[in-house]
Amino acid sequence: MPTKEEVFEKIQVALIDALGVDDDEVTPEATLVGDLGAESIDFLDIVFRLEKTFDIKIPRGELFPEDILTDSTYVQDGRVTAEGVEELKKRMPFANLDAFAENPVVQDFGNVLTVSDMCGFIETKVEVTE
Amino acid sequence: MRFEGKTALVTGGSRGIGRACVARLAAEGAEVALVYHSNQEAAEAVAAELADAPGKVRIFQADVRDSKRAHELVDQLFDEWEHFDVLVNSAGIVKDGLMGGMTGDQWQDVLDTNLGGTYNYCHAVTQPMMMKRAGSIVNISSTAAEFASRGQTNYAASKGGINGLTRALAKELAARKVRVNAVAPGMIDTDMSQVVRGVAGDQLKKVIPLKRIGKPEEIAAAVAFLASDDASYLTGQILRVDGGLSLGGY
Repeated sequence: MPTKEEVFEKIQVALIDALGVDDDEVTPEATLVGDLGAESIDFLDIVFRLEKTFDIKIPRGELFPEDILTDSTYVQDGRVTAEGVEELKKRMPFANLDAFAENPVVQDFGNVLTVSDMCGFIETKVEVTE
Repeated sequence: MRFEGKTALVTGGSRGIGRACVARLAAEGAEVALVYHSNQEAAEAVAAELADAPGKVRIFQADVRDSKRAHELVDQLFDEWEHFDVLVNSAGIVKDGLMGGMTGDQWQDVLDTNLGGTYNYCHAVTQPMMMKRAGSIVNISSTAAEFASRGQTNYAASKGGINGLTRALAKELAARKVRVNAVAPGMIDTDMSQVVRGVAGDQLKKVIPLKRIGKPEEIAAAVAFLASDDASYLTGQILRVDGGLSLGGY
């Protein structure tokens, strides 16, 4: 059973390999898109690496629910509707979406997910000790 | 040998163009997984013929329409090989018929095998190739995708779909150093094209500028080129290998 620190270290390795960033850039507060430069294809690569590292299955769209952001029932004029924000919160209980909810511009969503959120996500998938 | 130390999976590998691709890749040193659907005897014969080739050939039964099987097979080979260098999607069928008489099964079988099978194996290798930042996918399309023939709505749609898939996937995977291309054969001497050749007879040769039917080995040569590092700056391309048939004009 890994510790929280070990989970972070493994995620750090996955992100370094997937994004070609340096280890000192992968801090808990770093955002995947804004700080680490992840693009949509990178999320798939990251998911592959997390699956292999932690020996888990991650349904596509669970870590980064792109389907909501491209669904016209949840997006109007480039902004996620209140219903869409609720759906995002339901799908991403591991992430803090409060700041995004105040001004839910679709293009800004990429800056929401942090390395720390990713650790939280993995902790919902594997048993972790303190 | 361009494929020494490389690994490859070829669907539809027991006959026709797929068989020629297996032979060419093995001759150039690749370890090849030959995927066949129903003709085990033919697959075994190919493996036996190539027993002395520089690259080892092993046979695996799979229906390319079966997505689960595609993933199982690719995962099994990736665990063993630790790198997955080449995928050739060659499995294909024809079930020609004029639209007015075409059954739903005729339409769906061709789409599911030709396009669905290509999707299944591309999907399965995406993860290993992306993670290794290397790989080359070559899909077997057809000049029928762009040049109309009566009775081939299903086949043309499936091959047109392969062209679209090839270009879009090439763009998706380029950043991960995985290349995706297709070869579009014209009229080639295979069992599958026998029906058309039987109907058109010698008339066909007259409209081909090189005045002859192509050989499966000539398609395999193009496939090997695209799969190899010789084509390292090529991705998203559909290479017509048709004796000039698609040039049109007179």
